[in-house]
Amino acid sequence: MTISFGSKLQTNWDWRAAFNFMFGGSGSALLLMMAIFAAPQAAPLALALVALVLVGFGLLMVWLEIGRPWRFLHVFFHPQTSWMTREGSVGTVLFPVTIAGALMHSVMLLAFAAVLGFVFLYCQARILKAAAGIPAWREPAIVPLIISTGLVEGTAIAMMFFQGMNSAALWMPGLFTLFIAARLWMWFAYRDALARGKAPAGTLQALTKMHREFIIAGCIVPLLCVLMTFAFELGSWGTFLGGAVALISGWRLKYAIVVKASFKQGYGIGKLRKGRPIIKPPVRRAGDPIQL
Amino acid sequence: MTRYVMTADLNRCVGCQTCTAACKHTNATPPEIQWRKVLDVEMGEFPDVERIFMPVGCQHCADPPCMHVCPSQATAQRDDGIVTIDYDLCIGCGYCMVACPYDARYKVDEARFAYGKKPSLTEALRHDEGRLGVAQKCTFCADRIDEGTAKGLTPGVDPEATPACVNSCIANALQFGDIEDENSNVSELLAENTYFQMHEELGTETGFYYLWNEK
Amino acid sequence: MSARPETPVKNKKKVPTYCYQCVNGPDLLTVEVVDGIATQVEPNFAANKDHPAEGKVCVKPYGLVQKVYNPHRILTPMRRTNPKKGRHEDPGWVETTWDEALDLIAEKMKATREKGLLDENGDPRFAFTTGGAATPFYYAGTLSAFLGAWGPYDNSLGAGGTVKCYHSEHMYGELWHKAFTVMPDTPRAQYVISFGNNIDASGGVTAVYRQANARARGWTRIQFEPHLSVTGAKATEWVPIKTKTDGAVLYAMLHVLLHEHSADELDINFLKHTTSSPYLVAPNGYYLRDPETKKPLIWDLQINGPVPFDTPNTDPAIEGSFVVPHAIEVGADDETWTHTDTSVTTAHEKLKAHVRENTPEWAAEISDVPADTLRRIANEFLGAACIGETHEVEGRVLPFRPVTVVLGKSVNNGWGAYECVWARTVMQVLVGALEVPGGMLGSTTIISGPDWDRMANVFPGEDGFMHFPFNPTDKENWLQANEMRHAHKLLTPMVGDSMFSGLFGSTSIAWLRLQGRAAESWAKPQPPDVWFVYKCNPSISFSETSRLGESMAQFPFMVSFAYTEDETNHFADLMLPEAIDLESTQLIRVGGQHYFEQQWEAEGWVLRQKVVEPQGEARDFSWICNELARRVGILEAYNDMINVGACGIPLKTDSYDYSLDPTTVHEPDVIWDAVCKAASADLTDGKEVNDLEWFQEKGYKVRPFSSINWYLYPKLVDQGLRFELPYQERILRVGQQLANRLHENGVDWWDTQLEEYEALPTWKDLNKLWDNIIEKNYDVKATDFPFWLLSARSMQYAWGGNTSLQFIHEVASNVAGHDGILINANKAAELGIGEGDWMEVSSPVGKAHGQARLRQGIREDVIVMIGQFGHWKMPFAKDLKVPSLNALVPMHPDFLDGHGSSIDATKAAVKKVEKLV
Repeated sequence: MTISFGSKLQTNWDWRAAFNFMFGGSGSALLLMMAIFAAPQAAPLALALVALVLVGFGLLMVWLEIGRPWRFLHVFFHPQTSWMTREGSVGTVLFPVTIAGALMHSVMLLAFAAVLGFVFLYCQARILKAAAGIPAWREPAIVPLIISTGLVEGTAIAMMFFQGMNSAALWMPGLFTLFIAARLWMWFAYRDALARGKAPAGTLQALTKMHREFIIAGCIVPLLCVLMTFAFELGSWGTFLGGAVALISGWRLKYAIVVKASFKQGYGIGKLRKGRPIIKPPVRRAGDPIQL
Repeated sequence: MTRYVMTADLNRCVGCQTCTAACKHTNATPPEIQWRKVLDVEMGEFPDVERIFMPVGCQHCADPPCMHVCPSQATAQRDDGIVTIDYDLCIGCGYCMVACPYDARYKVDEARFAYGKKPSLTEALRHDEGRLGVAQKCTFCADRIDEGTAKGLTPGVDPEATPACVNSCIANALQFGDIEDENSNVSELLAENTYFQMHEELGTETGFYYLWNEK
Repeated sequence: MSARPETPVKNKKKVPTYCYQCVNGPDLLTVEVVDGIATQVEPNFAANKDHPAEGKVCVKPYGLVQKVYNPHRILTPMRRTNPKKGRHEDPGWVETTWDEALDLIAEKMKATREKGLLDENGDPRFAFTTGGAATPFYYAGTLSAFLGAWGPYDNSLGAGGTVKCYHSEHMYGELWHKAFTVMPDTPRAQYVISFGNNIDASGGVTAVYRQANARARGWTRIQFEPHLSVTGAKATEWVPIKTKTDGAVLYAMLHVLLHEHSADELDINFLKHTTSSPYLVAPNGYYLRDPETKKPLIWDLQINGPVPFDTPNTDPAIEGSFVVPHAIEVGADDETWTHTDTSVTTAHEKLKAHVRENTPEWAAEISDVPADTLRRIANEFLGAACIGETHEVEGRVLPFRPVTVVLGKSVNNGWGAYECVWARTVMQVLVGALEVPGGMLGSTTIISGPDWDRMANVFPGEDGFMHFPFNPTDKENWLQANEMRHAHKLLTPMVGDSMFSGLFGSTSIAWLRLQGRAAESWAKPQPPDVWFVYKCNPSISFSETSRLGESMAQFPFMVSFAYTEDETNHFADLMLPEAIDLESTQLIRVGGQHYFEQQWEAEGWVLRQKVVEPQGEARDFSWICNELARRVGILEAYNDMINVGACGIPLKTDSYDYSLDPTTVHEPDVIWDAVCKAASADLTDGKEVNDLEWFQEKGYKVRPFSSINWYLYPKLVDQGLRFELPYQERILRVGQQLANRLHENGVDWWDTQLEEYEALPTWKDLNKLWDNIIEKNYDVKATDFPFWLLSARSMQYAWGGNTSLQFIHEVASNVAGHDGILINANKAAELGIGEGDWMEVSSPVGKAHGQARLRQGIREDVIVMIGQFGHWKMPFAKDLKVPSLNALVPMHPDFLDGHGSSIDATKAAVKKVEKLV
């Protein structure tokens, strides 16, 4: 028999942390997608700046949330196991590389930035997964969900940008559609996994509450817009509307996961055992700050 | 080798909060911050109801998620299993607080006192600016243990080397000791009783065992 | 990495002292003091061998540090400037000096003495009120000397006593087995049946410690109660009994023992020789007596004839009917009947007949407890009693009967409590489990003698029973005067005649009379000329509390020893700041046996000392008493009282002399130094004399105390005495005589109460009784109040005077119910009430509001308000928004039982309200 109780909404990471996942995720994915969309040329500076502003804004929000902002350099102290250190490190490198690449029109540097952007996005997903106290985050299915929504968002921005520049290719909305579908799949997989894993009732309720909106705004509307645009050659508005709606729904999804669905593990009664426990020594991992 | 663990006997605990109070005194925690506290839990439906009292706090995991996520290495682990926080390293990012499956970590950003902004004489004396804006939690009274063992005392046996909550427990529900020592009080209690570890399925390997004999 | 900053500390020490914030004290603790500032509380680890719970301390003393430095403390004497008193009047407090304040009091008190200590009605002009079951005396220094030197004073203006206490258990427990309170022999008990006894919240450190050990040992505890309390949570089985039907269940258990088992299965030997079971009962209900000696008769099976109860080597019959050729019967006021060839039965047969109809099936209907459950538990009780087994204590072989029935508040006081305390004690007697190892024990005596030496109060009284100090009800010796405003010795003769008797009289009567609502044939009493209120807050802690405030507002001169402003000192003329727990000095007794489970194997003395300097102008209470005695002009009498023992021990005996010069004022330290020396000299038969300085360093001093003293049985057997059970001839006689006296004096308003004085108490339907009383006295329909509103003990708050402490609030909040009203979740759903919704609870006398806290461990017809809140003046507490049950509990003569007690519960109605009104 195991019994759980006392799950409450976490309040340690509020909207500021959510903004990092929302905008940082979009920005870092944009770094990847703009490189792909612009290939074989270098992506334009303006788009690179959009990506960096998004990532930077997210990091700024996090900085505003931490208790000791002037010790921010300590964030780099634990790359061995901390995905936050890794995110911070990648984020730090990502700025000069992107700016240099965009200014120098260097495809190579921007390709490197694209890789960094994806790693940054991956770090974000892993940050959530490593938060063992929050069942909605620690669920492994959160990783593809966070990545897929990041890709949708990055693709949406890139697609809108290139559409605006009148240099969009047909495969762009195709890729966008693919990511939308992937995200939808990950969303279902994520919710199923949470339900199977007996996530706190508050978590399941919060996600159920936004499910309808996400299906409509996150999938149906963008797909319809994009498909109708191409089917009826309606110009660019469909791309813009579909992209924007998909982008915003991604942000709302992450906001909900970070702020609304983030119920704590709570407490519980575990399985009763008898007899002397098998004593496991402290688990040692490379880089653990062990004090001997 | 030594690994310190705590045992909480749920058949003994009456939820009186003496441990909560003793912890607050020993560790001078600000209002509403309770490194140790006792939950009052109901299970079942009338009239088949069970009400239990469950001491909670840092479980001093063998594999602590808080330590692995900590970007600053402020959260560390001693060789005796005690999970510690270096207040000078901590940036107060709160990552450990969401990583802890036991809701055992706290962060206080601004000085606050029992009766508002102005500290009492005791509060002024014991206030620690270094603890503002950083993570804090139960240390198993590591200082007491270190001071006590330096004097040749045994944690869990001699009060001066034992966590304050254990010393204070009027039901002797809380016990402390070295689980690697087969003859320690905690080893013997675990040998004689049924017990569980909270959220065992998460693989944290807690250093906190709940003794419980279901009715 | 350190948890605490390593701040260099110049001057750090640990100071031993005690906490006596509730009756389960003293707890022995140490306080860490850093540079003169108290920082933290710890158990006194040095006491772990002497203290029955390893010297651990309760949660309440951890509030003491904050209590010293609470910014809301009154720290200078304050004088009222607004002569108008009322809840909505601003008292207009202005600071004054101790000199001025004390002179003002002295002037009033001297004037009072000149007028005469008693007023026209014979009531004392000076009244003193305290709370906490008199535990404030452990903080009041030399107050007892001052009160003794003063002369008669009135302590009838209670703060909740007789409503907030185990009143019937006190009275009858002490009559039957010197048990002011009752407990299991927890270290040896195996089977305990509890009716709402919340010992894990109310019993203090030792009780919690010993109960935890008992659980670990595998004892069984069956908990009957409507709300799953902390103790119920720890029980083996919770039986959610309907409120106020405990008597029915107990009677049914008696029925099972007496009618479903033969007498041989009971402890027949115990019944024959150690109880009144074999006493023959005459036709008018009094014992059949030997015409020569007037001794009660028993039927000796060996000679097959009647003999006086104390005839050696008899085999008394406990069952059967017998024809006695010639005997007498003595009733009330010596009315005597002569009986010839009368057929009589034993007290035991009377008992059997009394519960014949009270089957488990009958009780099941009343109590909501299935008959099978009742029968099973009664049978388990009998089986667990181990009849025939023995246990050796200090080389003496005693019966071993590890079963006990314990009762909680509102079961053991108020109407119906006599039935309950009687039935459960009879259950003990039937299996021989009274005052023997494993069985039900008394903890302390207060009515019959000094509370620190229970055994000294065991000596022969009438008819082979222990002496008990009934106040006289016979024509010749009946006390005509009231003595206090509640006429305790007159109306309730079981209160005895000790320093504390006034506290056991019906304090409700005192307030009701001041309000002109009781004792209509007597003149309305005058308020006291001078009223001292110390360490209590009757405006919060008594019943129908708003009305109490109105009464207080009428008092001409009220002195309050004030910690913070509160709902009582709001009506005061002077507020005086006393040096509190950690700021003042007193030596008291410790160990031996005391309530609740304070059974030690050591006894001695413990010091409370000035751990830190008093804040502001706060003064040690002994200093205050000194000054009052001097200024009032009774210094010599006051010092004399100290010398003869008012501080707990005489300062001069044949073997030592530390007495003080009665003509001069002695500083508190000088007084307590002398007490320390006398106490240590007495404890060691003069071998060691320890002064105040020694006690300040060591904290306490004890000597061994044998656990044979925990049991009354050996002492009783040695004196050839019997327990006065099951039959209550004395009660019957006292009641009848009291009725005669009252009727002779035109008093008929106490008649219902007098009906309680029965030889075998008649079961009453208390739910119906309540409905009848409220319909008769209030313009309401009983059906409009479908809930029982009950209280439950808060260990964190009870008696601590600590409601203004954030620290206590914080830790208490972890225990369910401290922030609202407990209600059954299903019932709440039915009423549309959700978690945290605001509820209005109303009773026939008031309304209160609080937030719903939904629980499963509570009956659907019950709501619970924990502790005592409802503050409107006390800083911090007034912002808690937690309701008070006391405001809703009616205070009315009809609720008072035969001994003047009523319960702190009421029938109530519940509805959802949109927000806090």
